[in-house]
Amino acid sequence: MASSGSGYDLSSSTFSPDGRIFQIEYAAKAVENAGTALGLRCRDGIVLAVEKPLVNRMLVAKTTGRRIHTVDEYAGLAITGFVSDGRQIVNRAREEASNYEETYGTKIPPETLSARISTYVHYFTLHGALRPFGASTLVAAYDPGTKRHSLHMIEPSGVCYEYYGAAAGRGRQLARTEMEKLSINPARVASGGGEGEGGGGGGGAITVADGVRQLAKIIHSLRDDAKDKPFELEMSWLCEGSGWKHQGVPRDVIADAVEWAKKEIKDNAEDEDDDDDDEEEEVGGGDVMEE
Amino acid sequence: MFRNMYDTDVTVWSPEGRLLQVEYAMESVKQGSACIALRSDTHSVIGALKRSVSELSSHQQKILEIDDHLGIGIAGLTADARTLAKWMRNECLNHKYVYGTAMPTGRLATDLADRHQRTTQTYVRRPYGVGLLLASFDKNGPHVYQTCPSGNVHECYATAIGARSQSGRTYLEKHHETFPTCARDELIMHALRALVGCISGDGELTSENGSIGVVGKDEKFTLIEGAELQPYLDRLELEGGNNGGDAEDEDEVEAEEKEDDAMET
Amino acid sequence: MSLSLQNGGAPTRALPSVTTVHATSGGNQRTTRPITTGTSVLGIKYKGGVMLAADTLVSYGSLAKYKNARRLVTVNSRTLIGASGEYSDLQSISDLLVSNALEDRCTADSLYDEDNNEECAGEVWSYLRAVMYQRRNKMNPLWNDVVVAGFRQEPDGTTTDTPFLGVVDKIGTAYEDDVLATGFGAYIALPLMREKYRPDMEEGEARALLEDCLRILFYRDCRALNRVQIAKVTKEGGALVSEPYELDTYWDFKGYVTNKGEIGTDGGW
Repeated sequence: MASSGSGYDLSSSTFSPDGRIFQIEYAAKAVENAGTALGLRCRDGIVLAVEKPLVNRMLVAKTTGRRIHTVDEYAGLAITGFVSDGRQIVNRAREEASNYEETYGTKIPPETLSARISTYVHYFTLHGALRPFGASTLVAAYDPGTKRHSLHMIEPSGVCYEYYGAAAGRGRQLARTEMEKLSINPARVASGGGEGEGGGGGGGAITVADGVRQLAKIIHSLRDDAKDKPFELEMSWLCEGSGWKHQGVPRDVIADAVEWAKKEIKDNAEDEDDDDDDEEEEVGGGDVMEE
Repeated sequence: MFRNMYDTDVTVWSPEGRLLQVEYAMESVKQGSACIALRSDTHSVIGALKRSVSELSSHQQKILEIDDHLGIGIAGLTADARTLAKWMRNECLNHKYVYGTAMPTGRLATDLADRHQRTTQTYVRRPYGVGLLLASFDKNGPHVYQTCPSGNVHECYATAIGARSQSGRTYLEKHHETFPTCARDELIMHALRALVGCISGDGELTSENGSIGVVGKDEKFTLIEGAELQPYLDRLELEGGNNGGDAEDEDEVEAEEKEDDAMET
Repeated sequence: MSLSLQNGGAPTRALPSVTTVHATSGGNQRTTRPITTGTSVLGIKYKGGVMLAADTLVSYGSLAKYKNARRLVTVNSRTLIGASGEYSDLQSISDLLVSNALEDRCTADSLYDEDNNEECAGEVWSYLRAVMYQRRNKMNPLWNDVVVAGFRQEPDGTTTDTPFLGVVDKIGTAYEDDVLATGFGAYIALPLMREKYRPDMEEGEARALLEDCLRILFYRDCRALNRVQIAKVTKEGGALVSEPYELDTYWDFKGYVTNKGEIGTDGGW
């Protein structure tokens, strides 16, 4: 690596001669190797999904090292990277949400929440005595004032964008490609004859129910069950159906989605070539999911 | 020895996106003697091997009571553990004063992990060099949690940390499916059998170096040591020995897989 | 949260005998009495639940200022509180409890509400005791008597179906009983409730008793109103608070009609 050994990469308060801060880039590396986290903004809500690797079979899968957290009635965070760093971001987000409500008497708007999280994350990139967070954050939130739901992602640099579909972690590239095929961007949906969206609601033609299936499929298709460690698929949503509250996607809904996803993946694989070694692996992965 | 320039500060990321200082702190857990914990549907049990520095010294303390419903087992820097134990006792007492009920273990474990994490992100303090196993019985039933210097926390059905703990873990992994229905004493026997595997060479599990902590539905956290431990050891003896050498085929197991990818999980 | 009122708002002339303020060393003034107040709250256990009752009046001194104020609040799905005393302090307390409940939900072990258990009434009650006692020791009390209703939790942590009813007062005294009343109700309603209470009371009986007590309070308490709310916590239905409604009253009792306060009579009104 060109940066290594130059001496310009030992502190986040040091610029390199060509104007980069290597420490931030290194922190981002920590996220690139972590479990995939996905967020999808649908017509009637938002879905978050995270692949949570399980280091061994004696873990209590449903509580251990959670990656999706509720920070307010209508706001949820998915984190990936260093989970312990991520928890710190989650704690801060909760404080921001509760302070805002105490001061203004209304729920914190999604943009404000995301902006404040990003300010916090950014602060850790400014000082030599601190290090940047090794975690990316997806923010799913609903604004009861404007009745709009939105999805943001904050990266270790502190940069923050709003997304129709966001991905972080190991499988982000492939996941982005897959999500681009879904009709979630209203500009494209309109030209493709999909359902338009009136008012401030936003979002494309896809529903959360469908979104859950699509994300399950993407996460499963990214995996090589023969090689990868067992994992738990964590999913949450906030949607019309949940009264816009952020909550875990019901377990039976996830199970159905996974079943559907596996079948889809299998069918696609069979279409492409006749080598059906994969399907047995798929079944093997299924057992792990149930844990 | 020049290893690399990224491994002397907690606040410096390596080009691969690793925190070497934190990974080194994780190593210090493996320097401590073994500690294992497991649970059934009614009880949680901690077991530990106590070291003594010489014939003239006492054995160290490996299991600490935090509250009536909660105890910890430690591996690594014991002085760090005592700092944390003091803080945990305080948290439990405060919770009991304010709410009149026992501190929920999950919340305490998360707060503890957050405490660990904070030391990994600022220059001023080194990470804690200790791994903790929490065994408790609270309003959601029995729990076992494991924390480590990186700030990661896991809830487990069974787990082992410390020197030569891999063979203990192997034992637990082999039998953990039977744990949920185990009675209290049965669970303690499992703990002892797992511990035997963690003893080095010609060592032996005795009432001196063995230590058990148990908590359950109708039982406050209790330490079982010395004479009280002897009946369990006698039972172990009847079963087929309590010296480490021949307990399990742990030698091959000892070729430790590089367990936890340090922090990520 | 600072609740000291430095000036303004106090109807000093209406209550001349009460010391308005006292100076502390720094010259700060503290609230030494409530300004806008609610009167009695009643609570009773019955078979399978707990019931609370209160009227909807908030007074400003002797002025009946707000006639549709809700003094019974749900703090989570199985816990209710009701408070007499300073109404703004009640609002502050209920904000605090509701935000604590949200924090609990956020920091729970599982993403799924059904896996987690909420704070039980006993914990809310104990928490309020700690808050009230701490505030009183800082010479800055929250001016309420708060009744907490819900279900008990055993010391070993398991939630039971045993109803819980407790009260915390403005100095942090915490007390549990089968029947409770705060404010003027402690004098007027409590003896009646003690007389009529049975552990196996049906819901209808309990409600009838509380309504009777509220009606009697309306007759005798100058700061009471016949517009009331009833609330209950049951295992099946959780915490429910009724909409405000009005009690029928009857003013033709002889004692109300005949003035007995003349010379040679036995007193009366």
